[in-house]
Amino acid sequence: MALLTVRNLHARVAGKDILKGIDLEVAPGEVHAIMGPNGSGKSTLASVLAGRDGYEVTQGEVLFDGKPLLELSPEARAAAGVFLAFQYPVEIPGVGNIHFLRTALNAQRRSKGLEELDAMDFLQLAKEKSKLVQLDAAFMNRSVNEGFSGGEKKRNEIFQMAVLEPRLAILDETDSGLDIDALRTVAGGVNALRSPERGMVLITHYQRLLDYIVPDKVHVIAAGRIVRSGGRELALELEEKGYGWLGLDGGKKTTAEARR
Amino acid sequence: MTAALAHYLDVATRFQAAPEQASAPQWLKRLRADALAHFERQGLPTTRDEAWKYSRLGSIAEGTFIPRTGVSRDTAHLSAVVERLGLPGPRLVFVDGRLAPELSSVAGLPRGLTLKPLRDAVREDGELLESVLGQRALANEHAFTALNAALLEEGVLLRLAPGALSEVPVQVVFLTRGDAPVLSSPRILVVAGESSEASLVETYASAGPAGSAATFTNAVTEVTLGDNASLHHYKVQVEADAALHVGALHARQGRDSRFASHAFAFGGAMARNEVHAAFAGEGGDATLNGLYVGQGAQHLDNRTALDHAVPRCTSRELYKGVLDGQSRGTFHGLIRVRQDAQHTDSRQQNRNLLLSESAQADARPQLEIFADDVKCAHGAAVGRLDAQALFYLRSRGVPQAEAERLLTYAFAREVVEAVPAGPVRANIEALLAVKLPGAAQREVTA
Ligand SMILES: Nc1ncnc2c1ncn2[C@@H]1O[C@H](COP(=O)(O)OP(=O)(O)OP(=O)(O)O)[C@@H](O)[C@H]1O
Ligand SMILES: [Mg+2]
Repeated sequence: MALLTVRNLHARVAGKDILKGIDLEVAPGEVHAIMGPNGSGKSTLASVLAGRDGYEVTQGEVLFDGKPLLELSPEARAAAGVFLAFQYPVEIPGVGNIHFLRTALNAQRRSKGLEELDAMDFLQLAKEKSKLVQLDAAFMNRSVNEGFSGGEKKRNEIFQMAVLEPRLAILDETDSGLDIDALRTVAGGVNALRSPERGMVLITHYQRLLDYIVPDKVHVIAAGRIVRSGGRELALELEEKGYGWLGLDGGKKTTAEARR
Repeated sequence: MTAALAHYLDVATRFQAAPEQASAPQWLKRLRADALAHFERQGLPTTRDEAWKYSRLGSIAEGTFIPRTGVSRDTAHLSAVVERLGLPGPRLVFVDGRLAPELSSVAGLPRGLTLKPLRDAVREDGELLESVLGQRALANEHAFTALNAALLEEGVLLRLAPGALSEVPVQVVFLTRGDAPVLSSPRILVVAGESSEASLVETYASAGPAGSAATFTNAVTEVTLGDNASLHHYKVQVEADAALHVGALHARQGRDSRFASHAFAFGGAMARNEVHAAFAGEGGDATLNGLYVGQGAQHLDNRTALDHAVPRCTSRELYKGVLDGQSRGTFHGLIRVRQDAQHTDSRQQNRNLLLSESAQADARPQLEIFADDVKCAHGAAVGRLDAQALFYLRSRGVPQAEAERLLTYAFAREVVEAVPAGPVRANIEALLAVKLPGAAQREVTA
């Protein structure tokens, strides 16, 4: 059975239709890449899946593990195993990174009827997982993302994913703003979390990421619809030709190259 | 004349005429009588008074409160309350405005420090008292200060000899029992000699069961800092829901002195806290911090006034409010920089977090600057929990209510963390955790 099934999803934000019929199926163990021009609705799809306020689903449905997802609160989705690595991770002054993450993990464990981890056990776990993305222990004691560089914020997202061990990870432009070493580290962290039970959706503008994390499928979103799906070669083709050849609305000549 | 004013005048007149006051020193009788006249002339403040514009007196203006006379105390219960609230170390405890010797102890007071009940100081340190009492907190300018002086009897003298250093905080604890509508009028005097350093914690709390009667505490603190002296002053007000509280602290700072006021207002139906600091010598430094946390129908009123009268002094203010339910918080911060006070460096910040639709915050910075070569900055903000941050936390699995508490505590802790690490801070953290339950789990660092 598919882990995630999105059927004919329509959503609007601030009175504006953004998603206009998305269909997507992610099976356990699969990695899907989603590409597409700026403003095409990639982050909107991610936000709708994670349960952000302000998005009105006007048509369609989303099943997670065969069960309706959209009726759940964000925290219930997280507990069910949905994780969103934010395109723009939020800075939260005054809330310690490690305290926040332990609170989150324990809330998820509680909802599954598991025993909570005490501070010491959690610290052990966090230390182990932080090695995966080479996040220095000093970051764990700071406020959530406060004063982190762009790259550090992205590493922190993957670190959180490693600790929370979701079943479906949606990574929204986790590669943007990373230098080549950081990209390798983050991709290594993501690859380490690939497993036969876990599905992943990578939103990206750059084929480069897909050299490190090889996807099973690639989709192109334009103007709120998936206009093309294929294998990894589709990403290479996009890299070469941009989005123009797909025959998207004529005016937009944005290409992946031009954005660099 | 309002009925309430007549009531308080009557209370004070009877007090001054009571036979046991006949033996009071002349200067004290005079001070009380003058104060009574000032009180009568000023009357109770109303919202038409500039300084009370956003305030409300609540049942203070109904005039039913009277000083406690007879004393019978449940020592076991009260000492449990003191243990729970207080810190180890020297302390004087007052119950319903009356000294409770059985709950007090000045053992362990460091050398060079004197902590004594005001009654004793009146007998033993008359000359000193005459020179400071009523000199910082002026009865002719503040009606409630005048009322406090008209009823002046109980309180504390903390005296620091020149060069005296105290590591342990000195505490004064004021408990009200709420079995009757009691009026307490404590006066706290701090006289810090040159280059002395100490911390003083004033705690105001209720010892009665929930649903006790309203009480009215009208406290005045006068601080005189000698040259290069340093005082950390903490005011922890955690009185019961029905309590009414008016407190005014006035500090006069000598050259190069450092004064830090940390005011925590968590309790009371109406609590007004004033902190006034005046620089009398160059090079002084004042830090005025405050955290007010209101729920239900609480009205928490904060006023600060900094008087930069001389050059080269520094002041920093950070007041934060967390307001839930129908509560209302106000901040009115005056910074006056007089013509001579060149090179003043002053910063004031007031930030409020509203947790409900009907909570309300009023921020009123007031800068009066008459010198030209100064740095003065101020900022005021009223906001709600950050929706982005809330979603971020929830998206990781933190339930909404817990996420809201985490963010609320994160907002409030800045003021708590301005308290130097140690038992006083731990105590305040614990009290904040009671006020904002579930939010204050301690962090373990890697
Ligand atoms: N809260 C909002 N209010 C109004 N418009 C919005 C809001 N959120 C998104 N939009 C609009 O929806 C469209 C899709 O935005 P979205 O962020 O999903 O694009 P994207 O594909 O992720 O783009 P990018 O590649 O730049 O990240 C854009 O036109 C954007 O302006
Ligand atoms: Mg996006």
